[in-house]
Amino acid sequence: MKNLYQPEPVKIEKIEVLSSNVKLLRLKKRIDFIPAQFVLAGVWGYGEAPFGIASSPYEKKYFDLMVRDVGAVSSVIHSLKKGDEITIRGPYGNGFPLDFLKGKDVVMVSGGCGIPPIASLIEYFIKNRKNFGRIYLLYGAATPQDILIRNEVSRWQKDIKIFLTVDKPIAGWKGYVGLVTELVKEIHINPLDAVATMCGPGPMTAAVEKILKPLGLPDRRIFVSDERKMHCGIGKCQHCTTGDKYVCLDGPVFNYDQVDKNWD
Amino acid sequence: MVSVLEKSRIPDLLEDLSKKYSVAYFQKDKTALSAKGYFFPPQETLFSYLFKNKKLSVSSRSRRKFLLFGLDPIDLEALDQLDEIMTKPKEDYFYLQQRKNSIIVGLAEYPLKVPVTVGDLILEKINENQYRAVALSKIGFDLIKNRNFKIEKNPEITDYPEETNGLRELVKDSEFLSEVVLWSWRTKHPIWDKLGKICLGCGICTYVCPICHCFLVEDRVKLDGSDCARCRLWDACTLNNFAKIAGGKNYRPNQKYRYFNWFYHKFVRAYKEYGKSQCVGCTRCQKYCPAHIDIEKILLEIIKDYKNEKSISA
Repeated sequence: MKNLYQPEPVKIEKIEVLSSNVKLLRLKKRIDFIPAQFVLAGVWGYGEAPFGIASSPYEKKYFDLMVRDVGAVSSVIHSLKKGDEITIRGPYGNGFPLDFLKGKDVVMVSGGCGIPPIASLIEYFIKNRKNFGRIYLLYGAATPQDILIRNEVSRWQKDIKIFLTVDKPIAGWKGYVGLVTELVKEIHINPLDAVATMCGPGPMTAAVEKILKPLGLPDRRIFVSDERKMHCGIGKCQHCTTGDKYVCLDGPVFNYDQVDKNWD
Repeated sequence: MVSVLEKSRIPDLLEDLSKKYSVAYFQKDKTALSAKGYFFPPQETLFSYLFKNKKLSVSSRSRRKFLLFGLDPIDLEALDQLDEIMTKPKEDYFYLQQRKNSIIVGLAEYPLKVPVTVGDLILEKINENQYRAVALSKIGFDLIKNRNFKIEKNPEITDYPEETNGLRELVKDSEFLSEVVLWSWRTKHPIWDKLGKICLGCGICTYVCPICHCFLVEDRVKLDGSDCARCRLWDACTLNNFAKIAGGKNYRPNQKYRYFNWFYHKFVRAYKEYGKSQCVGCTRCQKYCPAHIDIEKILLEIIKDYKNEKSISA
């Protein structure tokens, strides 16, 4: 019997500071995964915490995590150096329904630290660009310094249309400010053959109501990567349940109507 | 031909068995806790990690087989459910290691009408002095070979009534309960607000429950920093921070939601997952609740209102 709780050590190959409280960790190990699947990363003495994989699913030599300094585990990860070891279990969960997305227009909506699964999905789209229709990314952050995908935007822009927005702009900011409902006019999709994928904090709900719904996207074709306390990763500990679903087994990706009509 | 055990020989039998196995005699009336703790302890070490040489060791079971004696049919049913939960859809290594190393001997105070699907040997009371032995596994057959059992042609068999209670009868219709509990939330039944105020959020109901299996994992580092034990501890979905994530967001911020979630898991999510309620009607939760919450009364109240509404709308 396989011990699903046993983590494997993995070496930190590179650390990059993405914002005042987010670091990118490049970990030297091959993981076969679908964008939006997550791993449990751990440090002995501190425990484990869930993180979505941010790198391309085609990358075979390493994978990336974006770690926000917010809890016990992420905080100790922030203190580590290149060459240090952490532990990994996974990948867990379902990931975005790639086959269903095929051939369709795609609108991706993400905010703040919700970008890793979307970033991974974008890498997948770029590799398979001809299989998809028009692709848009709407990404919001608190300030321009909090935009975690700064280094990727110019490369991604060759294949997808990107709209960046911040809550608090600084001098010289050329993007949008606030929740950009007028973007509805800029997005040209065929609502009958389009999907949306989302991951991000609470205000994302407003994006659904004010942007995705006016675009004519039904709830069933809006895929949300949900967040809970995924603790054991294998559907036992009950920490990540939401209604009759386990985020670690049935999610983290759900149809918006599954999430929206859920009692908790 | 029936293999029987005289009631007076139970201590002798246990003494014999303890020469070969490590034996626990579970006596329901002597503890608030169920037997789940033998396989899913309140706290256990899963891994040990030595920082100096990065050596990881997985906690292993003891080499001696563990024999658990005395589970009644209700607790056997609960154990059967917990086995299923810990096996499907993914296997819980630590629980199953303990279970595979164990022998279960059930003790029923009445002849069983429905066959038991868990355990190795069941002893059913057939008269004031004797139990009939029913072996369920190879190990069970071997146990009957013990000198304390004897073969009798026609022992006296009394048909003692099955032990039951209102709750146990209620949970038999798990499909109906899943519908009623969900209905009560959707229709904003006032009972959940009331319970949100009464429930102390102490978690006792989940600790005494023979099926509840929420847990958390915690790393404990020795004071000198030399090694770390990754421990699993019982958790309870009725506790404050159960659904809280790093950064502080609590997905079930008040007791009403947490208490309902306990019900929802037992009667709705469990039904969808395994086709039955995760309640066998042992009544420990209502016996030990410091706020005197009686889940049978709650179920009866919402069932009554459900039936009323359905009869009005019909």
